[in-house]
Amino acid sequence: MKSGRSILAVFLITFFLSIVAVGQTSVIQTTASPTSGSATPTVAKIDALELKRLIRPKGKPLLVNFWATWCDPCREEFPELVKINNDYKGKIDFITISLDDLADINSAVPQFLTEMKAEMPAYLLVTSDEESAISSVSKDWSGGLPFTLLINEKGGTAYFRQGKVRPEILRGELTKLTTSPAAGDR
Amino acid sequence: MRHAIFLFSFAAVVLVTSLATAANAQTPAVGSTIENFTLSDTNGSSQSLNDLKGKNGAVVIFLSAQCPVVKGYHERINQLAADYQAKGINFIGINSNSTESLDWVKSNAVEYGFKFPVLIDKNNVLADKLGASVTPEVFYVDAKNTLLYHGAVDNDRSGKNVSENYLRTAFDDSLAGKKIAKTSASAFGCTIKRISE
Repeated sequence: MKSGRSILAVFLITFFLSIVAVGQTSVIQTTASPTSGSATPTVAKIDALELKRLIRPKGKPLLVNFWATWCDPCREEFPELVKINNDYKGKIDFITISLDDLADINSAVPQFLTEMKAEMPAYLLVTSDEESAISSVSKDWSGGLPFTLLINEKGGTAYFRQGKVRPEILRGELTKLTTSPAAGDR
Repeated sequence: MRHAIFLFSFAAVVLVTSLATAANAQTPAVGSTIENFTLSDTNGSSQSLNDLKGKNGAVVIFLSAQCPVVKGYHERINQLAADYQAKGINFIGINSNSTESLDWVKSNAVEYGFKFPVLIDKNNVLADKLGASVTPEVFYVDAKNTLLYHGAVDNDRSGKNVSENYLRTAFDDSLAGKKIAKTSASAFGCTIKRISE
């Protein structure tokens, strides 16, 4: 009788765990970010005006990476950026802005982001006035890709890099911005 | 000990940041004089700005064999070179990318049909001196090496929707003896791959 109860208990626990697991799977599938996992990421088209709005921080430090699929250094540094996004998730906002042709918005760009397992919100900039777009982002940017900009929550530039980021420096700045002064004193 | 480690780390960060800043040197102001330079071409011969410039000046254009943006521009660059070399403005290609071999640069110049010399900027010395950071990026100087225009060739990478021919307009204004209205413009391009990268 005792062993019968044990078998029933094991069965019930297994059944319960299976339901939880199935539930979890369905949650992951239904709430997955459009830029994550195996689902095809959504890349939103933006213009220069939307770009200006997007690069304003909204209560958290904001990391912005400008890139393109045709840019080899951009592709090379992307895995590190994905790691950074995972490591600082919730503490910062991180967006990527592609300078690919509009024709690639549903093909090459999302394909690469899928390959990278990139979960950052992804945009593609379309503008007839590149000069104005570049100068609206940073006076230190001459248009070379990749370009990465870290903006503190007050809107000041904490770090920028034209060319591949130096991960240790970027991480140092991110840690400074995401660590409260009280925590820093400890 | 902790204090020493902190100071050492701080000094290291300052040093790295300084080096990064040095790599992005300031571009000379429009109106200033570009110093003469001498570099080797793809055949190993020494060539200087003063020897290569035309009677109305020269365009120093930073190029890359790898960069798709340069690929997209090469026909427009060839057209400009053909149109304005006849008017005394000579083109001088510069390759400062540490990642591109001499053979690659040489074969690329043939592939793109460049009729002007492409000089090898070993250790990106000239790129640092001029503060060049992107390909393609142009520096247009007059016969006295005065910088007249710096930046993008035009305002459209694809070439399909060009509405501002920055470089051509600068040539035309200058040759007509007029003041150049737009003396600099930036555009998206490939970052020059420096040795310090």
